[in-house]
Amino acid sequence: MALTTNEVKQLADLARLDLSEDEVKAAEQDLENILGYVERLQKIDASGAEPFAMPARTEWREDVSLPCDHASCEIILSNFPERSGDLLKTPGVFESPKGKKA
Amino acid sequence: MKLNELTIAEARKKLDAGDITSIDLTKACLEEIKNQNPTLNAFIEVYEADALEQAERSDERHSRSECWGALDGIPLGLKDNLLNQGKETTSGSNILKGHISAYDATVVRKLKELGAVILGRTNMDEFAMGSSTEHSAYGPTKNPHDLERVPGGSSGGSAVAVAAHLALGALGSDTGGSIRQPAALCGTVGLKPTYGRVSRYGLMAMASSLDQIGPFAKTAEDAGLILEALQGADKMDQTTSDHAAFVPEWKKDLKGVRIGLPRQAWGAGMHDEVRSEVMKSVEILKSRGAEVKEVDLPYADEALAVYYVVMPCEVSANLARFDGMRYGLREKGLPLFETYAKSRAEGFGPEARRRILLGTYALSRGYYDAYYLQAKRVQSMIRRAYEQAFSEVDMLVTPTAPNPAFRLGEKTSDPLTMYLEDVFTVGVNVAGLPAVSVPCGKADGMPVGMHIIGRHFDEAGILAAARVFEEKI
Repeated sequence: MALTTNEVKQLADLARLDLSEDEVKAAEQDLENILGYVERLQKIDASGAEPFAMPARTEWREDVSLPCDHASCEIILSNFPERSGDLLKTPGVFESPKGKKA
Repeated sequence: MKLNELTIAEARKKLDAGDITSIDLTKACLEEIKNQNPTLNAFIEVYEADALEQAERSDERHSRSECWGALDGIPLGLKDNLLNQGKETTSGSNILKGHISAYDATVVRKLKELGAVILGRTNMDEFAMGSSTEHSAYGPTKNPHDLERVPGGSSGGSAVAVAAHLALGALGSDTGGSIRQPAALCGTVGLKPTYGRVSRYGLMAMASSLDQIGPFAKTAEDAGLILEALQGADKMDQTTSDHAAFVPEWKKDLKGVRIGLPRQAWGAGMHDEVRSEVMKSVEILKSRGAEVKEVDLPYADEALAVYYVVMPCEVSANLARFDGMRYGLREKGLPLFETYAKSRAEGFGPEARRRILLGTYALSRGYYDAYYLQAKRVQSMIRRAYEQAFSEVDMLVTPTAPNPAFRLGEKTSDPLTMYLEDVFTVGVNVAGLPAVSVPCGKADGMPVGMHIIGRHFDEAGILAAARVFEEKI
């Protein structure tokens, strides 16, 4: 199944990926090839099968906050892309989103 | 014999007897890394000082007649997607360049508690996406059998570390074949345990319902030693199982073992020499007493299609956390949306971006039922097909990969041809089964792997068969 250029651009916006025109073109071709391959699934009558879920334990561990030692805290802080003291610095959240698409 | 060429079991005996020290063993590996790693690029980073210190502590324990287990003092490599507190861990990606692990993955904690020596972190396809280790932000890893060829992937660095004797063993992760395929292409043993056998806590997630950590080793026996160390239920990973622990059950022969050759897997589309080498190996299994017959395994081809729907869906969700906010690369001085979009476009390589787009598409409104839900239904049918096959036989044998190692750059331009390299391995992840790849000959002068698939939690069975085979050749 072929995707239009606009559809690929919309996907890139949804996925928060700033792609160049060339990258959008390349993605169109790649997605077409891969979707063409996986489309064989549509031909299978799977109406009698439940969607599979990997087995997992059903009892939950208690939701508690665990202590974080000073060294671990320092590592987490050091991984911040920008910081102000011990606070994480981020761009403003209330600015208008790109072309109101988001 | 150089010490770095020993198997773990051999090294254990010599360490216990006091014939060698962990320092000797670790220095031999570090020396080999110095000689070969500039060419092979198996390790992204080597922890020389830490490794020597860990080795020294192991030797001190030995002098007090204390031993923490089979891996005490044994030098190992770690794939770059396993968190190791205080060390840089990047999953082979630009977006995590400089990222320091804040805690230990459960498997890393276990290795440390058992006294293993951690040599460094090994190269990989970015976020474990790829079958050649060419999709790494840190350059490709080379196959030690031919430097112009790929080692397979995504755990190519770990495979090469073991194949070239830079380490006695190594850890990798396997989502669609990322341990077994590079093991086959480099001529080492690679084991993907049953889903739920080994905790994924602290493994950077690619596709959480398919990912599993496992060992690379020189022999099936060594793979078993590492699995014994890694396994077990973990309260930090809800998908780990309380199933009885893996305990090796080595055998003298394969009398009474029923082996199935799935008709659908042995059709067209594989290299002639791969086919003939694996067929010869099946004859060896037969000569050791195994009963071999063809079996039906429907939907073998569809497993790859299921994988290339389910995996990118999980990838698009798991990689959403890399947004330039709390850690990783941030393009600075931009409004919020542009910060996300530019940081992610700059930080992710082409394969990661491709799979994120594919997953975003398959999960989007109007397509979810046709792609994701249908793939999850077919996944149930594939699991039933394996269950049916395992009612007739005890294990299944196929080649691990359809082709020997290909040339660098040969398959990077067309992603689908790269994906087809996973055709024999993905079914095992889709069904959550254990499987091992064992070296079994050469095609085009390059190693070939035989793929032995077992019932859920029957690592003991497939490793025993692998070991009987190794002893025969």
